[in-house]
Amino acid sequence: MAEKEKVTQNGDATAASVPQTTAGETEELPKTIVRRLVKDKLSHLSTESEISVFREALQAFSESGRIFIHYLTSTANDICKESNRQIINAEDVMKALEEIDFLEFVEPLRASLEEFRQRNAGKRSGSSKAKEADRKGKRKEPPAAEAEDEQDEAKSDEGEDGSDD
Amino acid sequence: MRQAGIYSAILPGGVSGKAGPHSFPLARIKKIMKKSGDDVKMISGEAPIVLSKACELFVEEITRKAWMMTMQGKRRILHKEDVASAVIATDIYDFLVNMVSDDHSANSEHEGLSTTPAAIMDLER
Repeated sequence: MAEKEKVTQNGDATAASVPQTTAGETEELPKTIVRRLVKDKLSHLSTESEISVFREALQAFSESGRIFIHYLTSTANDICKESNRQIINAEDVMKALEEIDFLEFVEPLRASLEEFRQRNAGKRSGSSKAKEADRKGKRKEPPAAEAEDEQDEAKSDEGEDGSDD
Repeated sequence: MRQAGIYSAILPGGVSGKAGPHSFPLARIKKIMKKSGDDVKMISGEAPIVLSKACELFVEEITRKAWMMTMQGKRRILHKEDVASAVIATDIYDFLVNMVSDDHSANSEHEGLSTTPAAIMDLER
């Protein structure tokens, strides 16, 4: 399937004016992943004719996703606080989804979460000793993408569920 | 042998930190989550997983709705205005209204934008 992404000169100029990610600035969703999600979805929707996507539209999708995360997270945060807890957990997020009327996401997300938990349980029972040793030793994360908030990381490790211990 | 870190150890995707072919990297999701509010401090290990997947589903769904706008305009190129139209026509996307009003250019009304009641009802489904 040819990756046909129509970008005109105008599209480029407008895209350039959109703020790019800089250190400490707005974190955005990775462009390649957003693009792949959008293109795959469009190819499912439109099997006969190929739909092209202007780069600005991809930026809009990416921005929408980012704002969605903010919205969902802050709703989940409210739910969490209302229960007098400090750590936002998966259930808070699920309840938040219902609260913001994204009901159709709940089932697939539950299934996804269950699958993740089962995989995680399988791996943990196999390597829990090794991981314990790792935690007691130095914490080494790859420099690029992984967690950087050491303090919060430590706290969420001792959090309620799903954490690495 | 290098022991995997907190995310990579628990994900089938391995050290890339992804849970599947289209999944967002969890560290990025977590960063975005933390910017959701001053009092968002602690997040469990599972919450970014759910958020990441929710975000995937959301991007797919808004793509679908924007595409419907493109189709209604009998076009083959999905414009930013189609995304804006989808937002305007869908109640639960109200949280995106500010994004749309910032980007939304005045000429969108002439871009094959369909806000007929039928079109809106379709999107509400």
